[in-house]
Amino acid sequence: MQFAIPAVLILALSGAFSLRFKYVGFAGALVASALMVVNNPLLLMVFVIALLNLASLDLMKGFLRGVDYTLVGLIFVSTSFAFYSQSLAFLLTMFVVASVPTYMLVMASDKEIRMEVGIKYITFMVVATILFMIGAILMVHASATSSMGLYYLAFTMLLLGLAIEVGAGPFHEWVPDVFDSADPIPVSVIASIAKFVPFVVAFKIISSTYMGGDVLILITGIIAVASMFIGNIGALTSSKPSRILAYSTVANMGYIISTLAVALYTEYVYIAFAGAMLLLLTNSLGKIGFFVGIKEDAMPKIETYILSLSFIGIPPLMGFWGKLYVLASLVYANLVWIAFFLVINSAMSVPYYIRLIRIFEDKKDFRKLAGYLVTVTAVLMLITVVPPNWIIESSRILMKYLAIGGV
Amino acid sequence: METAALMELELNPGIWLMLFFAPILASFPIAFIWPKRQDSFARKLSILSVLGLFVSFLITVFILFRVEEGRYVYPWLPSIGINFVFVVDYLSKYMGALTGFIAFTIGVYGLEYMKDDYRLGWYWFFFNLFTASMLLVVYSDNLLMLLIGWEGLGIASWGLIGHWFRDDDELSYVGVIDRKMGPLKMFWSPSTGGWRAISTIRVGDMPMFLAVAAIFALTGTLDISRIPWAELFENIGMAGTVILLFAFLMGPFTKSAQLPFSEWLMTAMTGPTTVSALLHSATMVAAGTYLFMRVSWYIKPWEIQLAGVEIIYILVLSLGLISSLYGASVALASRERKVLLAASTMSSLGLMFASSAASFWIGEFAIVVAFWYLITHAFAKATLFLVAGHIIHETHDRFLGGDREVFSKMKLTALVTLFATITLAGIPPLTAYWVKSAMDEVMEKLVHEVNILPFAFLVTISVIYSAFLAKFFALNFWKGRHVHLHLHGGGVMKTAYTAMVSMLLVLLAVIYLGIDHAAEEFIKAGTVEVSFMVGILVLVAYVAGFIKPEHENFIGKILYDRVYVMLLNDYLIPKIGWAIAWIVDIFNRFLDFTAHTFIPALFGGISVSIRAVQSGSLERYAKIVVSFVLAILFIVSIVGWF
Repeated sequence: MQFAIPAVLILALSGAFSLRFKYVGFAGALVASALMVVNNPLLLMVFVIALLNLASLDLMKGFLRGVDYTLVGLIFVSTSFAFYSQSLAFLLTMFVVASVPTYMLVMASDKEIRMEVGIKYITFMVVATILFMIGAILMVHASATSSMGLYYLAFTMLLLGLAIEVGAGPFHEWVPDVFDSADPIPVSVIASIAKFVPFVVAFKIISSTYMGGDVLILITGIIAVASMFIGNIGALTSSKPSRILAYSTVANMGYIISTLAVALYTEYVYIAFAGAMLLLLTNSLGKIGFFVGIKEDAMPKIETYILSLSFIGIPPLMGFWGKLYVLASLVYANLVWIAFFLVINSAMSVPYYIRLIRIFEDKKDFRKLAGYLVTVTAVLMLITVVPPNWIIESSRILMKYLAIGGV
Repeated sequence: METAALMELELNPGIWLMLFFAPILASFPIAFIWPKRQDSFARKLSILSVLGLFVSFLITVFILFRVEEGRYVYPWLPSIGINFVFVVDYLSKYMGALTGFIAFTIGVYGLEYMKDDYRLGWYWFFFNLFTASMLLVVYSDNLLMLLIGWEGLGIASWGLIGHWFRDDDELSYVGVIDRKMGPLKMFWSPSTGGWRAISTIRVGDMPMFLAVAAIFALTGTLDISRIPWAELFENIGMAGTVILLFAFLMGPFTKSAQLPFSEWLMTAMTGPTTVSALLHSATMVAAGTYLFMRVSWYIKPWEIQLAGVEIIYILVLSLGLISSLYGASVALASRERKVLLAASTMSSLGLMFASSAASFWIGEFAIVVAFWYLITHAFAKATLFLVAGHIIHETHDRFLGGDREVFSKMKLTALVTLFATITLAGIPPLTAYWVKSAMDEVMEKLVHEVNILPFAFLVTISVIYSAFLAKFFALNFWKGRHVHLHLHGGGVMKTAYTAMVSMLLVLLAVIYLGIDHAAEEFIKAGTVEVSFMVGILVLVAYVAGFIKPEHENFIGKILYDRVYVMLLNDYLIPKIGWAIAWIVDIFNRFLDFTAHTFIPALFGGISVSIRAVQSGSLERYAKIVVSFVLAILFIVSIVGWF
């Protein structure tokens, strides 16, 4: 983490120069990201996702050319930092740093600035950020002063902020609109690399300050299940791929939020965390692959199958293991009712993922780079053919950084 | 008549294997070759099948004379205490020899009777399987092994009763073609007959299987002679005993066609006559009563005297007598040769059940009487069926008919019939008289133990029985309507039933010469005044039946239609089946509707309304989100307050 400041400096300089030579921005983002990489399998996977995001930006031509690399690099730097930071101030800062670059990215497109999408997105993000930050600070305060009533309120604010930030139901209204009307490539960034920081920060704050209270588990569970149902049912009758993927994101966020309920039981946190991270990786890879496909309006066939089946959760693809770990942690933590709904929702998701396959099945006209990117995402989905013990190990190691200092 | 615990003895297992497998293996050549070629060579293979039956017959005779009484154990599933156990005792050695002889003799008869048939491979395979299965039932001490034979009987009877599956020969039907009574069709084809047999038997087999499983679970053994019956009944109490024994006896009741499961036996007459002969004498229906005798032999109910056991034995006694009376009455009113004999078999089986059940009060002797009656009946009934087959063959008519011309042209046949009928009726001093006298004695003793009804029933049944046997003889050979004879061949058939009927003389000799220890008792019973009176009554009935074999009246018409018991098989149970199908259909439709219409529509609707939120208006979104946030925070504040 000692390279955090150099990394940010490099990003700043390369961002400035990229206005003239766009690949300077790319190089700067690469160097900065490389500086922040830690020898931890999970972090390496996140790094790979950052690289995929950086590469996919090359499919765009538009007003942010050059600076967009810097923005993605910044998100990765903050993500990496958030995994290891144990300071509340830094964590909240990283939450903002990972979020703000997407404000700009979402407006980018090949031709013009999409102001309307930007306003919609930014409005939601601002509300989310405020709720999240106030909630986080109040949680720490309530925990320090053992004020239960305040803690309930603070926890709920943080949870609502998180839900709005990542687009969980019933606060998902921005998701279908933004996913549909923004350019696919920025959307793929929003749906992948940008999703890690909010969850990591939330995990850290919740498990450091938890004071008990079944009501909080209940609220977390209800929001998680509501999000699953809204996402999956909404996707059932959608026919545009970007809309399907929007609702798929809502559903996936529901699965991941359910792990926060487990975060309240310290002995199973590492399984819940591993499951959440694996689901985020699956979600990122799948969304990058499909949004690149939407950008091109075509995808390689076998890769489409792999991505869809992984989303459904067919073993031994990555999506299966993510759901498995999440289910295992829910069952261990005696939250069988959430596990039950998760399984039902998994089954419900089958038709629309198959519909995605159908949509892209016969479309073959894509650029080379796009083809490579989709292939890489599909291959990465296959690395869990060997059971992913690495994610459990990473998760165990990262547990050491879970407690926030001074709390 | 001591039944001391049977010793475990040694015998070359090859003998048992040959006993059961010789007939089956010998039928393989014709069974496999027949579907490919139906020429004279294939027809000759029938002889091979009969040879297989002959081997079995020889072995049964060997067992009868040369094998010691005892248990012969060969390991099967030793880890759970189940073995191949064969038992040679008073019942099985005679029953085995009886089965072997009758099957072989009928096999010989079948060589001529079936010589022009179109499905010989099928016929011989199932015929021999039938015999082997019965032999397995006879010698098995182990209930699991016995069930294998029991099931073999079921499948073989289905195959044989429905042998003429094309339903194209009116001669093979039962009932007057196209006759109807209300909703009932009063005629049955061979395929219907086969189906009725197997479907009825299964009704009884299911509870029987469960009872066998329960016996194993409760006692840990399945060897009939080793099960601690008295202890078992004491442990499970009165209700348990009644349920267990009743479930177990459902098998014998259905197999032996006791009320209300009698209809399948009547329509089993759609099979070839050889099948009827075998089915009605030594196999199938005899298996039911035989199993009851064999089990009672080792339960020794006369030593137990528990209320639960008494209830069951009273039930069997009553059911046997009522079925017997019903069978005899139906036979008296019957107009078809084979149906008359079928009903008479049912009547005899009822008497066997009743007499065996009397063992609860009388002791083992009652079972011996029932068993002797079974043997006597088997030879006589087999003879009568073979005769019926022959005359159906010669007259091309399955209804009773024949004047003195038949008598003069088929003298041997007529004399054999006459002898068989008067012997079976129980006219002194012929074979069945002595056995029936012993039965009279048994039922008379019950006057003190139960009441007078069993004895009264027995006398009534004996009288009716004698009358319809006389009717059978009179209407076929003396006083019936004129029929056209198509005489040709028949030598083998005549030999077969002459051999069969001569066995009744052998039995008579056994009784007179006191060769079997039971004979002494029979002679004693036959010389009692009451028995003699019954004998005279039976003789009078026979003469009356001969003089006036036909008399139309209202009761006769009802009995002719077998008191409409077929309502159960052909109307009520199908209606229940349809009702169940109807309910299942409704459930299916409900399921289809739910899965294919309701749930998709519901989720489609919800999905559309979820998507309807996306109007694109930021103001609207903000309103929704802010109100959700405020509502949730409000609720949590209140909860957190307390």
